[in-house]
Amino acid sequence: MSDALWYKDAIFYELHVKAYSDANGDGIGDFPGLVTRLDHLKDLGVDCIWLLPMYPSPLRDDGYDIADYCAIHPQYGTLDDFRSFLKAARDQGLRVITELVLNHTSDQHPWFEEARSSPDNPKRDYYVWSDSDDRYRGVRIIFRDTEMSNWAWDPVSKAYYWHRFFSHQPDLNYDNPAVREEIWQVMRFWLELGVDGFRVDAVPYLVEREGTSCENLPETHEVVRELRRRMDAEFPGRMLLAEANMWPQDVRPYFGDGDGFHMAFHFPLMPRIFMALRLEDRKPLVEIVERTPEIPASCQWGLFLRNHDELTLEMVTDAERDYMYEEYARDPVARINLGICRRLAPLLDGDRRRIELMNALLLSLPGSPVLYYGDEIGMGDNVYLGDRNGVRTPMQWTGGWNSGFSVADPERLYQPLISNPVYGYQAVNVENQRRQQNSLFSWTKRLIQVRRSTRVLGRGTIEFLKPANHRVLVYVRSLDSEKILVVNNLSGTAQAVELDLHDFAGAIPIEMFGGSLFPRIRERPYVVTLGPYDFFWFKLRWL
Amino acid sequence: MSTILSDELLSGLMAVGQLDVLVGLPTLNHSDSVGPVVRAAHVAFNRELARERTALLNMDGGSTDGTPDIVRDASIVDRETLLASQSLRTRHRISAPYHGVPGKAAALRAVFAAADLLQARAVVVLDPEIASVTPESVAALARPALAGDADFVSPAYARHPLDGPLVTQVVRPLFRAAYGLALAEPLSGEFGCSGRFAARCLEQPTWESEDLRLAIDLWISGMATGDGLRVAEAAVGPRRLTARPRPAVAALVPQVLDALFTCLRLQEAGWAPGSRAIAVARSAAPPPPPDPPANVDAAGYATLFREGLSALGGMLERVLRPATLEALRAGAAADRPHVPDDLWAAVMLELAAAHRHATISRDHLVRAAVPLYLGRVASFAAELAGLEPRDADERLEALCLHFERSRGDLVALWTAPLR
Repeated sequence: MSDALWYKDAIFYELHVKAYSDANGDGIGDFPGLVTRLDHLKDLGVDCIWLLPMYPSPLRDDGYDIADYCAIHPQYGTLDDFRSFLKAARDQGLRVITELVLNHTSDQHPWFEEARSSPDNPKRDYYVWSDSDDRYRGVRIIFRDTEMSNWAWDPVSKAYYWHRFFSHQPDLNYDNPAVREEIWQVMRFWLELGVDGFRVDAVPYLVEREGTSCENLPETHEVVRELRRRMDAEFPGRMLLAEANMWPQDVRPYFGDGDGFHMAFHFPLMPRIFMALRLEDRKPLVEIVERTPEIPASCQWGLFLRNHDELTLEMVTDAERDYMYEEYARDPVARINLGICRRLAPLLDGDRRRIELMNALLLSLPGSPVLYYGDEIGMGDNVYLGDRNGVRTPMQWTGGWNSGFSVADPERLYQPLISNPVYGYQAVNVENQRRQQNSLFSWTKRLIQVRRSTRVLGRGTIEFLKPANHRVLVYVRSLDSEKILVVNNLSGTAQAVELDLHDFAGAIPIEMFGGSLFPRIRERPYVVTLGPYDFFWFKLRWL
Repeated sequence: MSTILSDELLSGLMAVGQLDVLVGLPTLNHSDSVGPVVRAAHVAFNRELARERTALLNMDGGSTDGTPDIVRDASIVDRETLLASQSLRTRHRISAPYHGVPGKAAALRAVFAAADLLQARAVVVLDPEIASVTPESVAALARPALAGDADFVSPAYARHPLDGPLVTQVVRPLFRAAYGLALAEPLSGEFGCSGRFAARCLEQPTWESEDLRLAIDLWISGMATGDGLRVAEAAVGPRRLTARPRPAVAALVPQVLDALFTCLRLQEAGWAPGSRAIAVARSAAPPPPPDPPANVDAAGYATLFREGLSALGGMLERVLRPATLEALRAGAAADRPHVPDDLWAAVMLELAAAHRHATISRDHLVRAAVPLYLGRVASFAAELAGLEPRDADERLEALCLHFERSRGDLVALWTAPLR
């Protein structure tokens, strides 16, 4: 993929170095270990690895509290190890994007240590300080489970500092040009090493203004545009992906006129896919996609089912949130912040048909899909590990010692493996699933192959058909003259649906997984029958 | 909206599903010859391609002699063969009329459309007039594409150098000069190809052109020069046509010339801008040539050459360079016609260009070329007399190389009219 718009066709795979493979036997995954597993990713068919934070950090927020932007956490290896990994990935045809936490640093970052040392220190203005905690009143607190305020008292410099996340993560001050320059130099450092872009964390919160929500401010968009301009000038073809957990209309400005982010996650879509499935009703999903504004042609949505965080329910109504908690997190221990901290398979009761349907939706709705490590084999979780650690357990490679993740003593692993009889590594692991043609891994691999066989699913438009049967979700993806008809049964029972396809009269539907031909479409209603949670992707051909 | 595939055919294809090898058989009133061809394909499916998913697709242009029935009913009659070729799978045999203007082009378009729909890995197109088809030759045309080694597989027949002078003296050398592709049989009605090649052909707008009907076999061979396509030749043994009346040489030569020149015109955007030699993978050593064909009537051809040249002189003056015409006249004046390679290449190139620019009526042009062709054949036959087949083959290759070297002249004449 040498195309500058490569990210529009790409399938992303999110992983944490610590969780993937441990080469030095210390119980923590590292870059040399990751290198040995690249063949798995190549085999799976993904295009781009998204690395979770791998920087030096006190790890009080799993690496999102960065203490040095231009180095590798010693637990994960060295900068040379990272270079070797990048080369190996490139050799396998894989791209790499890394996490970039722009909004804040760790309170152990040298910038903050200098800043708090004296009000006169040149670095003081790298952060947002106040003598009182009543500035920016009314700004919401994101981590409501742990934080009481967005201000924290610094006993060293006797002042409050601003933080939107944990209090040990002071926000950087983007009104200070020196901070913007420092961050650009950080980006430059990694881009020169060869990374293909960044997943930019917590974007909406970069700039603060009195009397506002301090989110999505025009000044924040200007910061983004400046970084983009500089990146394009020196490193064309690289990509910025925004994490902005907002409504689509609020995310839209982050794309600018194609001069902001290349990609942004579509956060509200994800819970509604789960909701539609449980309700057996297409309504929530259709509504949110139809309410999604157009984005510039060079831009793309990032779609996901699960990731390293909780299944966030910030972008749903109270009624919707209650429903989701009731249906997907009856055990309150799985509820964290405003969301549910479970992996995909346990959320769907391990039901293979529902897992397949959800993945098929992920790969056929408009956007580039992001898979979370382990979900390709249906890994489980451990809600009792606290915070979001339950979905960050070691990757399950084999049924042997420590699941093939590490040769360390099991007690030394950074976190215990999943070991219950249903999702434990003895039952659910890559080695077993690679051997079985019908495994979830093999199926996911095939799904990716089919997705990659066309550009329509990555780049095409979407038009919903609305047959009378609300349990069936139908849409047509179009790119130029190419069309793909997608029919999904959201229900657990067999369904028949009559589709008005007269616009496509004369076309022959070809089922894309098996190549089977279906009867030619005519002016009259077209009847499709589907088993429980069945789906069809039909390529329409006029021959 | 008009469709390439009829509903009847589509429902047959739905029953077939994805497959590995699709054998296409275009027919029109071939009841006398189609049975053995179908049987050869059938045995090939069961014996040579036993594990592959295969289907035979007969596209019929509206036969009134029961050809489709024979295709459907043809069975393996030889008990031994039957026992040795038990099928592992259901073997599909579809016979259906095709849509559009009758002709091989429409039939092939439907075959390619079916192959594309069924995601066939290999396609073999058979010619119902070639009686020498065998299960082995069907498989030989399929295998390079099945193995992913070739996109287009042209047959290499075991032919004596004097057999098929229209191919050896006209089609082969001029095709090679234009396309840079050294195929022994660019005009063959049978070939193999990959699914990718079928899809590439299918997406061409040329199908809508009336001219394609004339030039379809050559056009297919010309398509093999497309970017990224790999070409192979498969040895398929001797070539024997069915016993049915054939056009006389006076009718056949204008037909073939018209097809060849029209094909060059249809694909000029592909070959004219630049030249490149295209590698051809040959799957086996060429088979030894069989017995020579009946002697060329050299004396009769010489007479027709001289008379034609004299009668058509005025017309030929408008399409040939004066030097070329002068040399022809000199060659005709000799005891035995003498049309050497360089003169023959000049004649063919100038005729092709005149056809391109419609210097005179194209119909008149190709008819006027008949005596020139006869003169060349008489001259060449005399030259080959007494040569061993191997030496004669080398002589044919020398002719092709001569044409290849004239490519610059061809392009110059093609892009600018002679006068």
